[in-house]
Amino acid sequence: MSETEALAIKMKDVHKSYYLANGEEIKVLCGIDLEIKRGEFVALMGESGGGKTTLLNIIGCLHPLTSGEYFLEGENIGEVRDDYTLAFIRNKKMGFVFQQFNLFSRLSALSNVALPSVYAGVSKEERQKRALELLHTLDILDRKNYKPTELSGGQQQRVAIARSLMNDPEILLADEPTGALDSKNGLEVMEIFKDLAKKNKTIIMVTHTAEVAKFADRIIYMRDGKILDNNYILRSDY
Amino acid sequence: MYWEIFKMAGEALISNKIRSFLSILGIVIGVSTVIVVVGIGTGSKKQIEDQYKNLSATQVMVMKTMGRGAITTSKLEVTDADIIRQQVAHVSDATAFVTGDSAVSYGKESSSFSLFGARYNFFDITNLDLLAGRLLTEEDDIGRAKVAVVGSGLVETLFGEDFDATKVVGETLTLDGKKVDIVGVLKENGGSAMGRMSYDDALYMPYTTAEKTMLGGNAQMMIVVLMDSVNYIESGMDEITTVLRAEHKLKLTQEDDFRMFDPGSMVGAAQDSANTMSLLLVSIATIVLIVSGVGIMNVMFVTVAERTKEIGIAKAIGAKQEDILSQFLLESIILSIGGGLIGVGIGQIVIPILNQFDGWYVVSSFSGVILSFTFSALVGLFFGFYPAFKASRLDPVDALRSE
Repeated sequence: MSETEALAIKMKDVHKSYYLANGEEIKVLCGIDLEIKRGEFVALMGESGGGKTTLLNIIGCLHPLTSGEYFLEGENIGEVRDDYTLAFIRNKKMGFVFQQFNLFSRLSALSNVALPSVYAGVSKEERQKRALELLHTLDILDRKNYKPTELSGGQQQRVAIARSLMNDPEILLADEPTGALDSKNGLEVMEIFKDLAKKNKTIIMVTHTAEVAKFADRIIYMRDGKILDNNYILRSDY
Repeated sequence: MYWEIFKMAGEALISNKIRSFLSILGIVIGVSTVIVVVGIGTGSKKQIEDQYKNLSATQVMVMKTMGRGAITTSKLEVTDADIIRQQVAHVSDATAFVTGDSAVSYGKESSSFSLFGARYNFFDITNLDLLAGRLLTEEDDIGRAKVAVVGSGLVETLFGEDFDATKVVGETLTLDGKKVDIVGVLKENGGSAMGRMSYDDALYMPYTTAEKTMLGGNAQMMIVVLMDSVNYIESGMDEITTVLRAEHKLKLTQEDDFRMFDPGSMVGAAQDSANTMSLLLVSIATIVLIVSGVGIMNVMFVTVAERTKEIGIAKAIGAKQEDILSQFLLESIILSIGGGLIGVGIGQIVIPILNQFDGWYVVSSFSGVILSFTFSALVGLFFGFYPAFKASRLDPVDALRSE
């Protein structure tokens, strides 16, 4: 396996800017160089407004980058703008886990988990089978017919994690996955992530909590749209 | 896949029942209006057709001008009919007749009817068919026979609704004190020569008898001319004018002492006005449908705005633009087709109710149903497209960030 193939994600000099209505340029990312290996569990830390979430969204193909190169599993996708390809990447290559769970309130837990496969065009039987397996793995099979509003925060996040795994993606992207949970549930979610990392999923997680970040193999520290430290060491008292 | 999207669209609509209902109300009203007005239009056209169904479009009527100014001495003659028949091109036949009102009684029953003094060829030209007995002959005319052929309306009035035509033949009527024998009964014609003058509520006597004995000075003379085809009506009327002016020895400065009209054009005019009315009603209903489409568009924009976050999530987990587009488009099409179906139902209920009222004649037409239903689906497609398109193009990050 060559070096690029061993990397899940590689970025070279990535910039991202927004433009206000008056033409003023707001630089959010200024020259990001990043390498994340396959199966690595990485936490993105840093101050608010430092560009963590923007970087995560660019990795997740929700945002186009302004300039630079972005290699996903060795392939440069930095210039891809076509919706079909981007939707395919988000659907098959990535799984998103959000702070606010972002489940569809009208759908049952089971239907929420199965939804990515609907967009992938998988048959109903296969979808059901896979979704039930995931609910079982995440220990919420007994809640499969519940609507999100009938579930606790921890349960909702398990459903959301199950959904992110539905199409068996290589990469999981999590934006403050424990941010809306109490510490007990938060720790449980982190144990799940730890397990997934062991199963060779690449996990990139945005967090500002050291307790959460310490579950990761590596911590990347960002400030003002730049990576300050590619292997940040937490203080030992955390 | 498509079924799933369809299901999601349906679930979204059901979760917002009141809004869905209100947004389709316009379509419901529009579609039921289209169905009812198309029914009214079809009904009035059918009424006109019934009224004029036995009228020949190839007829031209010639009559005296009403006494006015210098030409009180109008002199349309029986022989004018023969001259028209001989001298005007493409005339298939022409006959003169007189008409007037006459009090007719049979036993205790008595009523006023139109009396036609007609020659033997009158029945052919006017499309009147015999039910029983015989028609008038040339001998009746020459002999001034006191005989009559009667219309079905007259028989119904004097002999009751379930008359036996063969028994009516041979009975004797009294006209202004004079005895007249019935020699024939006509089939129901349903039509009229000139508006209120009905061929059914009438009796027909030999021309000479009617003119000299019965009507006297009150008789109005007319000539009915039958052209070979509708195409000759216009040129025929011009030629008749020329021939009659020559015959009546009118000077260039004098006005015509006769006037003419073709009943066929009356049918056309009546149909035209019925068409115009239908068109007017359908345009109004179309406007209602378009306005209701704007309503649907409005609701779809609100729905998209409300579900922006959902769109963001769907995109984050791999929904393509076309998935989002189809879902919202389907929602608006389901709305409009649902509204269309309810509207069709209401139309079908309202039409029989309207027919209970006097003077209403509404026909439930299949074309109205198809027209309004198709139109409502198109309204949903057309007005739903823009909101759905906007939804599909939302930036996923912006959409996710919205609350």
